[in-house]
Amino acid sequence: MILGYVSCLPETKLMAKFVEELKNERLMGTRCRKCGAKYLPPRAHCKCGSADVEWFEASRQGKILTYTSVGFPPQSMSKHKSYIVAIAELQDGSKLLAQLTGVSLKMLRVGMPVQVVSRPVSTDKIVYELKPMDVMEI
Amino acid sequence: MTEKVGIVGIGHAKFGKRTDVTLRELAHEAVTPALVDAEINVKDIDASVIGVTSEEFAAQVSPAILVHDYVGIGNKPVFRVEAACATGSAAVRAGWSLVKSGLADVVLVVGVETMTHLGTPEATEVIARAGDTRWEYPFGATFPSYYALMAIAHMHKYGTTREQLSMVSVKNHMYGAMNPYAHIQKTITLEETMKSAMICHPLNLYDCCLISDGAAAVILASEEKAKRFSDTPVWLVGLGAASDTMMISERENLTELKATKTAAERAYRMAGITSSDVDVAVVHDCFTIAEIMAYEDLGFCKKGEGGKFIEEKQSYIGGKTPINVDGGLKSKGHPLGATGVSMTVEITKQLRDEAGKRQVKGAEIGLSHNVGEAGQYCFVHVYSR
Ligand SMILES: [Zn+2]
Repeated sequence: MILGYVSCLPETKLMAKFVEELKNERLMGTRCRKCGAKYLPPRAHCKCGSADVEWFEASRQGKILTYTSVGFPPQSMSKHKSYIVAIAELQDGSKLLAQLTGVSLKMLRVGMPVQVVSRPVSTDKIVYELKPMDVMEI
Repeated sequence: MTEKVGIVGIGHAKFGKRTDVTLRELAHEAVTPALVDAEINVKDIDASVIGVTSEEFAAQVSPAILVHDYVGIGNKPVFRVEAACATGSAAVRAGWSLVKSGLADVVLVVGVETMTHLGTPEATEVIARAGDTRWEYPFGATFPSYYALMAIAHMHKYGTTREQLSMVSVKNHMYGAMNPYAHIQKTITLEETMKSAMICHPLNLYDCCLISDGAAAVILASEEKAKRFSDTPVWLVGLGAASDTMMISERENLTELKATKTAAERAYRMAGITSSDVDVAVVHDCFTIAEIMAYEDLGFCKKGEGGKFIEEKQSYIGGKTPINVDGGLKSKGHPLGATGVSMTVEITKQLRDEAGKRQVKGAEIGLSHNVGEAGQYCFVHVYSR
C-alpha cells in the first residue's frame, strides 16, 4: 500500500513497515540507537550518520500548531477541491503535517487538541489524518 | 587573486507571459543589454553560470549550454546552478566564486525561466514537487500552503493582521506600476486586495506572487577588469547563504525563516555592516507574509513587528528601509531562475542612481534576499558603490 493521496516515489522497506503498522492504527517513528534522536516521520538513517535505527510507537495525540485551507489545489489533487492542511505537535514532541478533517475552517484554532487516525483512501492508498479530539477524551 | 568582485553590466528582459519567445530568445533579451551596459564584446566573457530552476518548465534537459551557446560565448566553460526559487542568487554566488578564485576574470550570470506555457494548476503541481515528496507533497501541500501555515502561526503569535498582509501587496503593486519590466504594471487598492479570491487561507490571490516568464543577466568582473570596463562598478561586498530542514513540520519555529537569519548574519559580517546601514533592499516576497517575515529576519525591525513596519510605511521610499521598490516578486513577477539575478540588477541600478521614479536618493549600500522553496535555501547579498 502507498502512503498519501498522491505519490511519485517507490515503496521501500521502511515505508512497507510504516504503512503496515498504520493500517492497525499504530503511528511508528524511528529512533537512533547511537545518539538517541527520534524521528517521526521515520527515517532509515539518522542525521548523525548512523544507519542503526529502531522502531518506536509514537503518540497519536497532540495539538494544532498551525493550519491552512488549500483552496487552489495542484493538478494531482484537483478532484479533492478544498482541504485543510495542518501541522500538529504530538505529545512526545514530534511534529506531523497532514490533512485535518472533521472540523470546519471557522471552528479551527491554534492549540486545538487533535489525534492522528489512519484512513484508507482507495484500495492501494492509505493516509494518516488529523481529527479533533473527541470531547470525552480530552 | 582579485580583492573585490564588481558588477559591470546588467540586463533585464520584460517579465510576463512571454509565449512570443523561447527560453533561449528570452535569455538573449537580457544578455544583450548587459553586454552593451558593460561596453564589452561577448568574446570578453571567460565563463558563464546559468540559473534555470526546472527542466519541466524549460521543456529542455540541461538547459545551460542551450543559453550559453545561443548568446555566442563559444567554447568557454559553462554550468548550471539550481536552488529552487533562489536559483538566480545561487548563480550570482557561483559567479562571484569563479571571479574571486581567479578561475575567470569576467563571468556572465544569466537567470531564466519559462513557466506560463503550463497552466496554473500544472505549474502549481511542478512547484509542489519541490516540497518533500515523501512526507508533505502527498498530503496536498503546495507552496502557497506552506506560507499560509507560517502566516497563521505569525498572526497567532504576534497579532499580525489580514490587512497588514494586503498592505505589502498594495506597496509592491504601486512600485511595480513604475517598473517597465514588471509583469503587472498597475496599482491596486487595499479594498481590492482584501476582497480577492482565497488561495490558501489566510492568503488570497493578491498575497501570492505571479507565475511569469522572464530573464535577467549580470556581468561580474575582477577588480582590475571592473575598473577598466566601468566608471561606476557596484561591488558585491557581502555574501551569506544558509539552508533549513526539508520538511516544514521539522522546523523549530514557523514564524521565521531560520535560513534568512543565518544568511543575513553571514552577509552582514562579511560586508562589515549592520542591517541599519542598508539604504535599499529587495526581499523575497513570494507571498506577502514572506516579506513581513523578511523585515524581521533581516533585522530591519524587531521580531513580530513586521506588520507594524508595513503599516507605518517604513518599507516605502522615505521610510526607514525602502524595500521592493521594483515591485517585488508580487508585481514584477517570479520567473524562478530569473528572480535572484533580477534582484542584483535592481540593486545595481539603485546604487548607480539609475532607477528613475523609483530611485532611493543617495543609496550607497544595498541588499538582496532570495529564498528557495519555503526557506530551505536562502541567499543574502550585500552591495556597495
Ligand atoms: Zn543518531
